[in-house]
Amino acid sequence: MAALPALELAPPAATLEDEVVAHFDLLRAPLLRYLASLGLPIADGEEIVQEVFLALFQHLRRGGGRANLRGWIFRVAHNLGLKRRNRGGGAVSVEWEWLSDPAPDPEQQFFRNESGRRLRAVVRALPEQDRRCLLLRAEGLRYREIGHALAMSLGAVSLSLARSLARIARATER
Amino acid sequence: MSAGNVHLTDQELVLANDGEIAVDRARHLAGCNWCQIRGRELQNAAALFASANGPELPSAGPARTRLRAHLAAVAANPASESAQVTRWYAVLAGTLLAVGMIAVANLNLPVRAHRLEMPSPRLTPGAARAVNRDAVCSVELPKNQVAPADLRRRVLQEYGIAGSDSTRYEVDYLITPALGGADDVRNLWPQPYLSTVWNAHVKDELEDRLRELVCGGHVDLAEAQRDISTNWIAAYKKYFGTDRPVR
Repeated sequence: MAALPALELAPPAATLEDEVVAHFDLLRAPLLRYLASLGLPIADGEEIVQEVFLALFQHLRRGGGRANLRGWIFRVAHNLGLKRRNRGGGAVSVEWEWLSDPAPDPEQQFFRNESGRRLRAVVRALPEQDRRCLLLRAEGLRYREIGHALAMSLGAVSLSLARSLARIARATER
Repeated sequence: MSAGNVHLTDQELVLANDGEIAVDRARHLAGCNWCQIRGRELQNAAALFASANGPELPSAGPARTRLRAHLAAVAANPASESAQVTRWYAVLAGTLLAVGMIAVANLNLPVRAHRLEMPSPRLTPGAARAVNRDAVCSVELPKNQVAPADLRRRVLQEYGIAGSDSTRYEVDYLITPALGGADDVRNLWPQPYLSTVWNAHVKDELEDRLRELVCGGHVDLAEAQRDISTNWIAAYKKYFGTDRPVR
């Protein structure tokens, strides 16, 4: 069974700075989208992403391991994002208007609008941790990476995703 | 019915996508039409969610350039690593500092009981230039501005550590120039890079925070200068709302 498109790994680089920038190039957009899903403005997300990659640089310079590096990066971003959000007054409501199919075929416009509406409704109703798992999976992270990022076991991640996907499948079937 | 003949649960079907199921379950999946159809339904749901448009993002160029500059600065300044010392190392450094201070005290040198993570109020009460908020905020000063060499020497002399390894200390402004702090010996003190958790890097964060608050009109310039010069650690706790450094 095919998985979602996986995130690439950064290729070997000449210097540590180059390696960090290569990771930044691959992961900035997924990180920004994930931070936006926590309710943070994009500008705040950019600040956090800078902090994340500076932390990565320090981590690697101190001889830190490269195993599950994407999980490590998302975990740092997640923690910094929550810290920033809490400083700003706690949880905020996230609009999910962008959850619609890209470039819909005009003939299927009606069905797609309807399916997009249902998708948004399901996602809004999910517990926050389930939504986080779903978003990270959509960004191409493997289950073990998601587990590392959100401090969850492999079983908890897969259970959360199975629950969310079953709800989406049920809500969007025609 | 043996376990191998039971259909896979949704959780197992999800796990199968990353090859995380047992061999006998994978074998069942390979030969089970029902499980494959259900697996595709879940995959389609995942694909539907993943194919949705994300929020619009700005171009990566400026952020990339900024990161490059930050990395170059950090790479050129090993002191910044002090922010990341482990707890064990912090304890060790603290112990060594305490031992060192006892030794200094026994030698009857000027540095005695005060801990260098806080400046001596007598030697470093803080001094500010006669500037207002607009003047402070209209100029973007370089971060970690270095005090003139002659002032740095005087500060080390006054603190009785003129002969010590200069790489162990950052002669830091108590009130940063970015908040109107003056190039004045009364506004400088030798802050150890590896003293405790309350080190030079943490103070840099406070300075950035205070400047944002002052220039954003949330805190009065004089209040920020007073807070940071009276007790910068207390000011950090006040403005970050925490008892420990946030990083």
